[in-house]
Amino acid sequence: MFSLPSSLTSQTFVNSQFQDQRISLLILLRIDLDFGNSAMHRVGSAGNTSNSVRARKEKRLTYVLTDADDTKHCAGVNSLALRKSSAPDNCSYLFTGSRDGRLKRWEVSENSATCSATFESHVDWVNDAVLVGENTLVSCSSDTTVKTWDCFSDGTCTGTFRQHTDYVTCLASAERNGNIVASGGLGGEVFIWDLEGALAPLTKSNEGDDDCSNGINGSFPVTSLRTISSSNSISSHTNQPQGYVPVVAKGHKESVYALAMNDSGTLLVSGGTEKAVRVWDSRTGSKTMKLRGHTDNVRALLLDPTGRFCLSGSSDSMIRLWDLGQQRCVHSYAVHMDSVWALASTPSFSHVYSGGRDLSLYLTDLATRESILLCTREHPIQKLALHDDGIWVATTDSSVHRWPIEDHNPQQVFQRGGSFLAGNLSFSRARASLEGSIPVPVYREPTLTVEGIPGIVQHEILNNRRHVLTKDNGGSVKLWEITKGVVIQDYGQVSFEKKKEELFEMVSIPAWFTVDSRLGSLSVHLDTPQCFSTELYAIDLNITEKAEDDKINLARETLKGLLAHWLAKKKVKYGTQPLANGEVTSGRDRDRDRDRDISVITEGSQGGQWRRKITELDGVEDEEFPWWVLDCVLHNRLPPRENTKCSFYLQPYEGSALQILTQGKLSAPRILRIHKVVNYVVEKMVVEKPLDSLINDAGGQLPLPFVGDGSFKSMGLKPWQKLKPSVEILCNNQVLNPEMSLATVRTYIWKKTEDLPLHTRTRWCYIIYPII
Amino acid sequence: MGAAGSKLEKALGDQFPEGERYFGLENFGNTCYCNSVLQALYFCVPFREQLLEYYEKVKNPDVEENLLTCLAELFTQISTQKKKTGVIAPKRFVQRVKKENELFRGYMHQDAHEFLNFLLNELVDILEKETKGTKEHSSPPEKIPNGIHVPQANGVRKEPLVTWVHKNFQGILTNETKCLRCETVTARDETFLDLSLDIEQNSSITSCLKNFSSTETLNAEDKFFCDKCCSLQEAQKRMKIKKQPHILVIHLKRFKYMEQLGSGPNHGHYQFKLPLVQLRSMQATLTMDTFCFMRALLEIITTSPAESNSIMRMRGWMGLMYS
Repeated sequence: MFSLPSSLTSQTFVNSQFQDQRISLLILLRIDLDFGNSAMHRVGSAGNTSNSVRARKEKRLTYVLTDADDTKHCAGVNSLALRKSSAPDNCSYLFTGSRDGRLKRWEVSENSATCSATFESHVDWVNDAVLVGENTLVSCSSDTTVKTWDCFSDGTCTGTFRQHTDYVTCLASAERNGNIVASGGLGGEVFIWDLEGALAPLTKSNEGDDDCSNGINGSFPVTSLRTISSSNSISSHTNQPQGYVPVVAKGHKESVYALAMNDSGTLLVSGGTEKAVRVWDSRTGSKTMKLRGHTDNVRALLLDPTGRFCLSGSSDSMIRLWDLGQQRCVHSYAVHMDSVWALASTPSFSHVYSGGRDLSLYLTDLATRESILLCTREHPIQKLALHDDGIWVATTDSSVHRWPIEDHNPQQVFQRGGSFLAGNLSFSRARASLEGSIPVPVYREPTLTVEGIPGIVQHEILNNRRHVLTKDNGGSVKLWEITKGVVIQDYGQVSFEKKKEELFEMVSIPAWFTVDSRLGSLSVHLDTPQCFSTELYAIDLNITEKAEDDKINLARETLKGLLAHWLAKKKVKYGTQPLANGEVTSGRDRDRDRDRDISVITEGSQGGQWRRKITELDGVEDEEFPWWVLDCVLHNRLPPRENTKCSFYLQPYEGSALQILTQGKLSAPRILRIHKVVNYVVEKMVVEKPLDSLINDAGGQLPLPFVGDGSFKSMGLKPWQKLKPSVEILCNNQVLNPEMSLATVRTYIWKKTEDLPLHTRTRWCYIIYPII
Repeated sequence: MGAAGSKLEKALGDQFPEGERYFGLENFGNTCYCNSVLQALYFCVPFREQLLEYYEKVKNPDVEENLLTCLAELFTQISTQKKKTGVIAPKRFVQRVKKENELFRGYMHQDAHEFLNFLLNELVDILEKETKGTKEHSSPPEKIPNGIHVPQANGVRKEPLVTWVHKNFQGILTNETKCLRCETVTARDETFLDLSLDIEQNSSITSCLKNFSSTETLNAEDKFFCDKCCSLQEAQKRMKIKKQPHILVIHLKRFKYMEQLGSGPNHGHYQFKLPLVQLRSMQATLTMDTFCFMRALLEIITTSPAESNSIMRMRGWMGLMYS
């Protein structure tokens, strides 16, 4: 499976190879019995008799937060596919696949494009998409899967192929053969799929089963979201006959970055880091030839309808035209100044449009070698799609643009002037630009824009472990509340680094989640058991309906909030579902609209990651969630955690007249605030004068003139804030702010892992606590 | 021994370089690693000259004995010999080394490359201390004004104080990583005192150097996190020499550390040979690439006391390097 970038340190591994929930329940029982015994953290291979050395991590739950409406992409667009309508209403469909992991269908007319469907199931970048047959959309992703969709549905995934073991980077389809699709990926994997065969047996055996079983790699059992509810035993899956096996085009030694197929689907060309273009017979998967000439990665390929000529675009900035009959390069065009990433040709294969890393779109006449700059973008061009008198251009930005072209007579553009003759050596263009002959683009403005949302490009988890600061592609800096999945502050275009410094809080809270932004939005990863390591007092979270020192487990609250919709639906479905202590989703007003934009990604009990909007969960996905999530949400049970206590000593400050209160070591939750320690000291304190007189001495006025941090002021008076004889607690000769927790004191003041020595000191007057 | 010296003289005949001394170093029992490094450094003419020059300047009876002075003394001793060939016992130097570092105290076999590193670092430290001392007018309570800064200075590693040792041996490597998705190149510079080259049997240094700067692909389980893509992607990584040192020290990794055999070099017979022709061509290409001087450091491990033999071999090397 694909691995998520993990910055996690070593963690307790709990074996996850339990294909059967019964086994995992057994394990849970053992944990319950041995609760508190740290040795039992390592359940290890308790339920697993095989001698597998590699302990797999427990399944992870990820939720993806997007900040705005669902009708737009929020990361770069990697792929374009176009379906021209045959109907006279002149409405065409554009399909876009984005780095945000989703595909979208756009209804395109002359001057508008509206999103009419979102295809959401991939859990990583969608790298390529093609349309085959009447209504099948095929997509491939960095999540190592190839998926098929009903392209005119509102997002129905009809199949998932898990043959690849690494990122799937590119697809190719045959214009006149609606069944053939080829997929290429990293590690040199190229497969040729007969869609009819790949999808058929499954639709027979299991209605709606959206997964293709896998003949070679047995570690990916058949998975289905819809059939799981009906199948109560795993054996029904494992006993299923091994399904369809695609044709393997074997022989690529290195990663594949580009594919193309001829109209009839008999010929496949592939290119990649090998720098060569390989030609295959797509019916058998056998090699026919290898074309050498490029000096860097081959990133884009085109075949003419007959399969005689092949165009290739490479990171060596060259476009080459190959004659497959003669097995040689017949032309090389030095048009671009940098890598060529996208190619599109006119139907007659007389002209080629090319785009790439140099942000430019060129048109080149393949015969006369005349070339012209059509437009320049702000971002590298990743994909091109011709559409009548326009060309769709996808870049690493989340917006897609349509530019005008002369569809029927491309030659007309050259008459506008500014064209040049493409050289045939890679440095000829670079030299030309040095000489100052930088061409002026023919077009300045696109005719149509499909807007996207700027994706998140930078993020930082703040010390309070609830807020994440992000910066998007447009430069906007925002502050997120992770437990609720909302933006709580939009700072606009400010310096990310400065804002980060500004928001620095001296608090120490253990990390309970990790974050990445590869999908252009925040993905929050929860791993058991460390995600349950953080508890905070209700009062610190401003939860008023609970007692102030009720401890709230952040992960539990977050999970319950996330799965509120699911639980509600479950309740409806099963009537009286035993909800643990009836306290699920008690009083947290969740913004329903906001929830619409949150998706969960996790791995089901049978392998294979899936992704869904939380509002679209239908309440029956029990087996599709990791057991630890269900345990937490349904049964309110948390896995055993490491010690959350902090030990400390309380001693009178040197020279202070106080008596020693306790001799031994004290122990308290590490989130205990210093003011609680103050209270403790006051209670235990043996003073000569009665307390009342002390208060009178001190003036007896409320409130304390607190000059703590700003947040404190805004929170107003807290109950403990009554006037008491002022006791200062010191550590390392610093007076401690009563707002600090023991963990914070240990991290920032004591700076050692040993037990804390705290010193008490009294002053019979107000104290202005220092801002530390 | 004297006979051996004259034999060498005879063998060289007219070709004996003007003013050059070929002296063997006595082996005190497994000090061959030390001797071979000393020979290599001695015949590294720019280094030798600068060391002697430096020694002329600081020659001062008050100066405390350290590795640098010991080395300089030894080199002076060799270069001022009346005879052209002979044997010298680098007793004082070896004693000093053993005093400085317990690692070299026993009779264990040592790695010449490690020893060279130790020696050069030690020399650099001594020189740095000296420059600091002169800058602050050699005030003894040096640590008090600097008290707070000392840990920081250590953390960030010394400010770029360039000594003549650096000038001779230090180069800059650039570590380039190109994400194969967005093709953004991230480069990081680092300094080096020597290049460690993996060697294959019957290959030339040229091909070893080529291997060194060949492209490595980060893929599969070992993908590269690209900041631009915000995700793990395939990447190509390569090392380039950005600034070549005056003297390029090449460490030919003759041995692969084998755990089951315990530590130390493997004494098995090794087939690696550097055919002279190939070496010559290598030198040619390197000088073309503006490498001013080139010095290959071979770990010559001779268990026999026939030091003159090793000199003969060394001479062959020197001749190649400086002809």
